[in-house]
Amino acid sequence: MRAAEAVTCQPRRHRLAAALLVATIAATASPVLAQATSPVAPQGKRADLDGVWILARNATTENLKLTPAGEAARARYEPLRHDPDMKCIPASFTRVMHTPSPPTEIRQFADHVEINYEFMDVHRRVPIKPKLAIKDAPYAVVKFPHLGRSVGRYEGETLVIENGDVQAGVHDTLGTPGLPQSDQMHTVERFVPNGNTMQVIVTHTDPVYYQQPFVVTFTFQRLPGGKILPWDCTPEAASYERFFPQK
Amino acid sequence: MLTRSVTAAILLAALVTAQRQVLAHHSVAVNFDQSKQVDVTGTIKEVVFRNPHSQITVTVPKPEGGSTDWFVEWSDKNALVRRAVPFELLQPGIKVTITVNPSRQLPNVGYFSKALLPDGRVLRDCGFGAFRQSVAKQETVSCEPQKQ
Repeated sequence: MRAAEAVTCQPRRHRLAAALLVATIAATASPVLAQATSPVAPQGKRADLDGVWILARNATTENLKLTPAGEAARARYEPLRHDPDMKCIPASFTRVMHTPSPPTEIRQFADHVEINYEFMDVHRRVPIKPKLAIKDAPYAVVKFPHLGRSVGRYEGETLVIENGDVQAGVHDTLGTPGLPQSDQMHTVERFVPNGNTMQVIVTHTDPVYYQQPFVVTFTFQRLPGGKILPWDCTPEAASYERFFPQK
Repeated sequence: MLTRSVTAAILLAALVTAQRQVLAHHSVAVNFDQSKQVDVTGTIKEVVFRNPHSQITVTVPKPEGGSTDWFVEWSDKNALVRRAVPFELLQPGIKVTITVNPSRQLPNVGYFSKALLPDGRVLRDCGFGAFRQSVAKQETVSCEPQKQ
């Protein structure tokens, strides 16, 4: 079996597993429990995003215009001291996607999507519940609640994820290093599949630090046979503190 | 296979510099001066291949006597494994010359560019750019060390 075929087979197993799980719950759970755990019917036509992806090219950023407060916040940024990476903390989903080599795995289920970013072991769960308010959604990454809450939906073949309730701080350290974010940062991510490539178009809105919404576009390609490895970051290894001259 | 290796080598030469400038976990361009190269010659004291970045410690003798340690940062272990970089060739105790881009702020810290091994071969990192190009073409990138 070719590696590429192996990748396309993997999601089928997940779908089968999900179907078996749903059937088991329906057969054994009480009516109340069944109501609470039944998957929501998918909205729109589900995109074929299942698989493991790597960045295909450098991301592009458009309409980036900081407010005076944003300029001041960025001017205060010192990469060696303020980069959350140094503490093994992913700044934002945009920051995570900017990381080139660690791949990203997407697994679609009837009522949620799992996005497993190898970078910093970010395992994101996005409910597909269009009527769910972001404030009522669970934290998208249990391990990193500062990344906020996500809600997904399908628009045609595009998976759309809205994210909010993030913690104020550093937003990005790679694409444009030192970009800040307030707790009002709201993003809309559009996952657009195109065969073995996928675009993720992220529109960022944060009136505190940005004059207008800015857009970062990522282009991914499939990594046949790829799998997500543990990242196991430790602050001792990630930080440059050990290199600073002793005071 | 030879053609693929040659292709990978060309891609390496064309892409590794450009890609590394923007594609690293901590921005290499922000932290390291890629307009400069420093040869660090000494004995490897320690190698730690890990995420988010690997580190090679090299003990460098001083002309006036004594020695100083240089810290060489490199890609994350997962990336090196995926790119099949034979990083295990770098072992404590061997004498090497590692060419680095020096840190913009910190003394004796640099980012790995290449390593001259005791047998005269040069170990490089094919880089993420070459890796993803090879994936797109369903080829295998080769990072085997080459004679200088």
